[in-house]
Amino acid sequence: MARRLAPRGGEWIDRNRPLEFSFEGKKHTGFAGDTISSALWASGRRLLGRSFKYHRPRGVFSFADHDVNVMVQDRALLNIRADVTPLEGGQKLKAVNTVGGLKMDLGQVNNRLARFLPVGFYYKSFHKPAKLFPYYERLIRSAAGLGSVTPGEGRRHWGKGYGFADVLVVGAGPSGLAAASAAGEAGAKVVLVDENARPGGTLTYAENASGGADGMLADLLERIENNPNVDFRADTVASAHFEEHWVPLVHREHGMTKLRAGSVVVAGGAMEQPAVFRNNDMPGVMLGSAAQRLIHRYAVKPFDRGVVLAANSDAYGVVLDLLKAGVEVAAVADLRHEGEQSELGDAVREAGVRVHTGHCVYEAKAAKKGAGVGGAVIAPLDVQNNAVPSRAFEVGCDGICMSVGWAANAALLAQSGCRLGYSEDLHQFVPAELADGIFAAGRVNGVYRAEDKVRDGERAGTLAARHVGKGGAADAPAEAPRHAGPAPSHPYPVYDHPEGMAFVDLDEDVQLKDIKNSIQEGFDSIALVNRFATLGMGPSQGKHSNTNGIRIVARLMTKTIEETGTITSRPFFHPVPMGVLAGRSFHPARRTPMHRRHEERGAVFMRAGDWFRPEYYAAPGRGREEAILGEVRAVRRGVGLIDVGTLGKLEVAGPDALELVERICTGRFAKLKVGMTRYALMTDEAGTITDDGVCARLSDDHFYLTATTSGVDALYREMTRWVKVWGLDAEVTNYSNAFAAMNLAGPRSRGVLSVLTGLDLSEEAFPYLGVREGAVAGVPARVMRVGFVGELGYEVHVPADAGLHVWDAFTEAGEASGIRPFGVEAQRRLRLEKGHVIVGQDTDGLTNPWEANLGWAVKLDKPFFIGQRTLKILEKKGGEEEQRGGEDRRLIGQRTGDRKLAGFALLDGGEGPRPKECHLVIEDGEIIGRVTSIAHSEALGKVIGLAFLPADRTVGSRFQIRADGGALVDAEVVKVPFYDPDNSRQKGAGQREMTYQGGKA
Amino acid sequence: MPYRLIKYGLSSKHPDKRMFREPSGLKESYEAVIIGAGGHGLAAAYYLARDYGITDVAVLEKGYIGAGGTGRNTAIIRSNYLTPEGVRFYDESIRLFKDLSNDFDLNLFYSERGHFTLAHSDSSIRTMRWRAEVNKHMGVDSEYVEPEDVKAACPPIDLTCGGDAPIMGALYHPPGAIARHDAVAWGYGAGADERGVEIHQGTEVTGIDVKSDRVVGVRTNKGYVKTEKVLSAVAGWTPSIADMVGLRTPLTVRPLQACVTEPLKPFLDKIMVSGSLHVYVSQSSRGELVMGGSTDPYELNSMRSTLEFAEGLSGHMLDLFPFLSNVKILRVWAGLCDMTPDFAPIMGRTPVDGFYIDAGWGTWGFKATPVSGKTMAQTVATDKEPELIDAFRLSRFEDLELTGEKGAASVGH
Amino acid sequence: MKILNCPINGPRPVQEFVFGGELREMPDPDAATDAEWTDYVYNRNGSPGPRREWWYHLASGTWFIAERDTGTNDVKKTYLYGDEIRDEVEHG
Repeated sequence: MARRLAPRGGEWIDRNRPLEFSFEGKKHTGFAGDTISSALWASGRRLLGRSFKYHRPRGVFSFADHDVNVMVQDRALLNIRADVTPLEGGQKLKAVNTVGGLKMDLGQVNNRLARFLPVGFYYKSFHKPAKLFPYYERLIRSAAGLGSVTPGEGRRHWGKGYGFADVLVVGAGPSGLAAASAAGEAGAKVVLVDENARPGGTLTYAENASGGADGMLADLLERIENNPNVDFRADTVASAHFEEHWVPLVHREHGMTKLRAGSVVVAGGAMEQPAVFRNNDMPGVMLGSAAQRLIHRYAVKPFDRGVVLAANSDAYGVVLDLLKAGVEVAAVADLRHEGEQSELGDAVREAGVRVHTGHCVYEAKAAKKGAGVGGAVIAPLDVQNNAVPSRAFEVGCDGICMSVGWAANAALLAQSGCRLGYSEDLHQFVPAELADGIFAAGRVNGVYRAEDKVRDGERAGTLAARHVGKGGAADAPAEAPRHAGPAPSHPYPVYDHPEGMAFVDLDEDVQLKDIKNSIQEGFDSIALVNRFATLGMGPSQGKHSNTNGIRIVARLMTKTIEETGTITSRPFFHPVPMGVLAGRSFHPARRTPMHRRHEERGAVFMRAGDWFRPEYYAAPGRGREEAILGEVRAVRRGVGLIDVGTLGKLEVAGPDALELVERICTGRFAKLKVGMTRYALMTDEAGTITDDGVCARLSDDHFYLTATTSGVDALYREMTRWVKVWGLDAEVTNYSNAFAAMNLAGPRSRGVLSVLTGLDLSEEAFPYLGVREGAVAGVPARVMRVGFVGELGYEVHVPADAGLHVWDAFTEAGEASGIRPFGVEAQRRLRLEKGHVIVGQDTDGLTNPWEANLGWAVKLDKPFFIGQRTLKILEKKGGEEEQRGGEDRRLIGQRTGDRKLAGFALLDGGEGPRPKECHLVIEDGEIIGRVTSIAHSEALGKVIGLAFLPADRTVGSRFQIRADGGALVDAEVVKVPFYDPDNSRQKGAGQREMTYQGGKA
Repeated sequence: MPYRLIKYGLSSKHPDKRMFREPSGLKESYEAVIIGAGGHGLAAAYYLARDYGITDVAVLEKGYIGAGGTGRNTAIIRSNYLTPEGVRFYDESIRLFKDLSNDFDLNLFYSERGHFTLAHSDSSIRTMRWRAEVNKHMGVDSEYVEPEDVKAACPPIDLTCGGDAPIMGALYHPPGAIARHDAVAWGYGAGADERGVEIHQGTEVTGIDVKSDRVVGVRTNKGYVKTEKVLSAVAGWTPSIADMVGLRTPLTVRPLQACVTEPLKPFLDKIMVSGSLHVYVSQSSRGELVMGGSTDPYELNSMRSTLEFAEGLSGHMLDLFPFLSNVKILRVWAGLCDMTPDFAPIMGRTPVDGFYIDAGWGTWGFKATPVSGKTMAQTVATDKEPELIDAFRLSRFEDLELTGEKGAASVGH
Repeated sequence: MKILNCPINGPRPVQEFVFGGELREMPDPDAATDAEWTDYVYNRNGSPGPRREWWYHLASGTWFIAERDTGTNDVKKTYLYGDEIRDEVEHG
């Protein structure tokens, strides 16, 4: 390994565990504890990736997941950020987005064509001639994108968990560790997270900059370890801040913990920022902290001979670290004319390093061989911070470190609603106004000295604990000073070059001149530059580019930084895999108590919301149609049994129960006798049908109301609300899940039921539409003589845990009568033969009762019901329209008031093309209606259905339906009910069974 | 051959000039004031200037161009709506969209991908067929297709959707397209600007003066403007503007969240929408998956994001495309949707003379940018709505003549 | 996730609730003109600001009123319907 240093204390690698992997087809070795990039860099490789647009060679840059220079793919695992992803044995890695491999990458031609591809170039071309655009788009699409997905790869599941903490501390650097300790010592339950593999922050790579930090890290860690209140989690990112301190903690491997915190201390530190100069993106050009991480954590020598670009004390710490790692520091270019006056500055000078104050790195020059930097062009600066290239000189080197400043890692502060202000002293944003329960400490708060950071952390931790009622009334430590002395950041480390390639955003290859040109084109605000130039739009979301971008825009627009503003911080801080967000994905399923029986009987299930309902029961050797036909016949001729347990079931009881029913339903129920039922229809305030069902009167002040499966929950909610608003003395209870229900239907149903109950089933004792309570199969039951299907029938409601037993009892009792279970599809056809409306199928979001032929269920002269006032207006309008005559109407088949549901039959005897539901009714080339239900009826020997038609169409009138392929099918309006128009079969003519007319035996 | 790019290589200075003029102060008066420099407002300004010669117009924008819905939507363009009046309207928009890149000489990346609305239940199948029939009747290319057809067009999709609610069919709409949404606003803006329209960013309307039921002037944070025509084109911010003239509307505002993944090599050509799964997705030409779902479940005038949205959306995406588990969501944001009871817009005159409204854009506004601009320009210029938008008049609620669109506005409700 | 305080059950995640719209008083249907009635049915107060709203706790079936700012999403207080409405009527 070309660049691996001798073992050093505190290193994160385990040299006893070497790991083998391959990169771009070549074998490499690293150690457990390495990241992919540190292992590659240690091996001497410098070309680690290609940039997005120009395919420029790239290497390690921030080494902190603030850039994506090194993005690799390991078979199906894509878009791996190599700088921060642990090395694993057996990885087969390649760089993303290259054509023909990293070294030969054909995409590099873009770099040579760069002058033809300025900012926004794709907006200015490829659209003419229009017919070539799809071809260009294909090219652009294949050039864009980073990693590749692997369709066919199975879903990967992560678990998700919940967490609770009094105080969440984000960042385990000195201030975070101190904050967690202080909060824990005050008695708060603390969760402390850090995205790195180990805690310590700057103390793990920048000891010198901290000034006498020896032992500080050990002390801080000991305080944490000894405090049972503090739960420290490494490799964990606090990905965003959501309302009320709801923070997703994403662990590198284990997935997400959704944490609710009482308060949050943001101690996320600061992100080192680059300088902008020509070729500042070459492999070997990196941030100072990147070099330090390589040295201290992974024992990797960043380069052999380096130049350091400085503008703060940290830079001098970098120099000293480089020297200790055996790097020759050829020169320091300090942007500041006054240079570094601290002890660190002295130490660097004493070490014999040449320091050029008031100088910048003006350009990085390529090495003669291989990819990467080979020299730095250093130029003096005039008093206005402009480079003077005429007096520049070149220094040979294979690495350039930039240590010119920091940006607060303030994403969570911004997301939580804190107001950030720009400090002209520090040249960084700091919290100006904190949101409730949010605290900031350390560099993100503008505090830079190590001891100050610890004090600031203790202060914030104490206040955070106090916010949740933990800790005494003693004074919190005073607010630590924001950094005193020379600023830790240079206000404008940006040096233009006539030949360009001075990068501001390395993810998107956005150059300094791109920002200038965007402004020249009129995109003269940070937001518009973001969108037009894609500044900050790449996978790092501006972590290394927003700061310089804002400074440049501010300067070009002659505005202050505050006036210029920032780009809004949005979730997620580091991108989160969809699998982590999804967790295991639960899909609720609801089953009736009889579900098992349906399965045993070969039911083919359909979904009704979350419910599983039998669509039909498969019969061996028979197809779907035949099976359904068999069920239909059983009901018409003998007896069938259907599970209607998903139905909504509400009880309304109390002195005002009748009043409530009257106000909710459109019909009149005052005169409904105890022991009888009546059809119930509900509309909303706009007069649109919302639900329907049956209302049974069990006593003067006790009603049992059924409703549709999908509508009952909303109906229940609305009813309970109205009870409150109207101050009615009535209770509504939702028994939908508490009762099972089944409907026994067919001429033989009475006989079958009589076997299981002592109730008097004679016509006089139990007439059509009656309701009785009594035992069925030994179980207390409510029995209603109602049914959708137009035969003698009984709907039986029993407690849910008795449902299976009663179902079995019916099956046994009915065996002699040839009882068969029937499903939803058979029921649909049976009810169609009676012309019954299904709310939601035959009605839509606008249907009023008259359009659905349910005007008979609406009593407009009642004192009040929901929807009444609107229906009165509609009735008035309908009358006015009628008076105006047909010419005025625009018959597009969907306008309210113009249409009505009509029964119809096809004229061709079912031989021709069969229209489907929602096929349109066409007349004179206009849409005048729509089919809502259609099916072949064996009983009637024709295809029947319901359709919306203009309200004036009478029985016998003809129309045409456009079926698949455009064929027009003739139909005729027919009176409903189609089958048994007098309803005599339902009403039961004594004990005599009606014979079933029509159809094969 | 993109010859245009050669000029960049050959000039030493960047050759392109400003798309929008340097801002100047507000004049004392204008013939018309448009509130909102999003796609709709700028499109209206463009057509007013181009087709009616009305150029004494100021477009007032409190943020930056396209800061509202225009900059936040998921850029899906389609006309496969449910009602004839809806289909006619959005189809006209598509017709205009196709020529825009040419008209502006700006590449909007209008990319016809093909759009699938997946059906996972019987009732959904019926609705898809209904839409297909109405579309075909109106001459719009849509058809109802079977699961096999969905799979053939989009091989990576999992038809079983994780086993829970399998795909049973779909509405296939070949003209469905995506475009670069910001660029649409820039194109209209540049076109209006070059014809003399003034675009004033950072200019917030604080009040509208009405005398005897007629607009007389607009108050802003940058001064007062006399005018007799005001067009409000601010979508999710409409209720506050409507309050300024004392106008009552049915509008309520809900956040609609959306997100993008990191860029991926192309694998998804089609636009996929599932109403039951509350998710829609397309892959941009940058390679990102652009995804959205339903509006938030309660009223709110804030563009904050929620974790629940990202969790729910991810779960549904993995039902459709299980292999995307490792694909990372990069950014989550939100826009404001002004919702109407019938999922159709509110366009045209109002009881206040000279105050015109272009609102009620819910989750269906971006695709209507060209046609709304054109019809509102006509409305403002002639003080009368073209027949194309008659169904969207504000008075329809009072008249109980709502449109029937509720079944077609994709997922967002 | 946002937390709402159910007056009966205390603080619960917002996903446990159903939003019921602004608290609006129904005009007397017999006295209102058609215009007043359709205004009630369709028009709303959509601009951001403090509102009194209906909210329903699904898990317990509790309807209550929340005073919430529809711009900032801050909930000032929640209470059962009737408690403060009554006070307002009595004290004007």
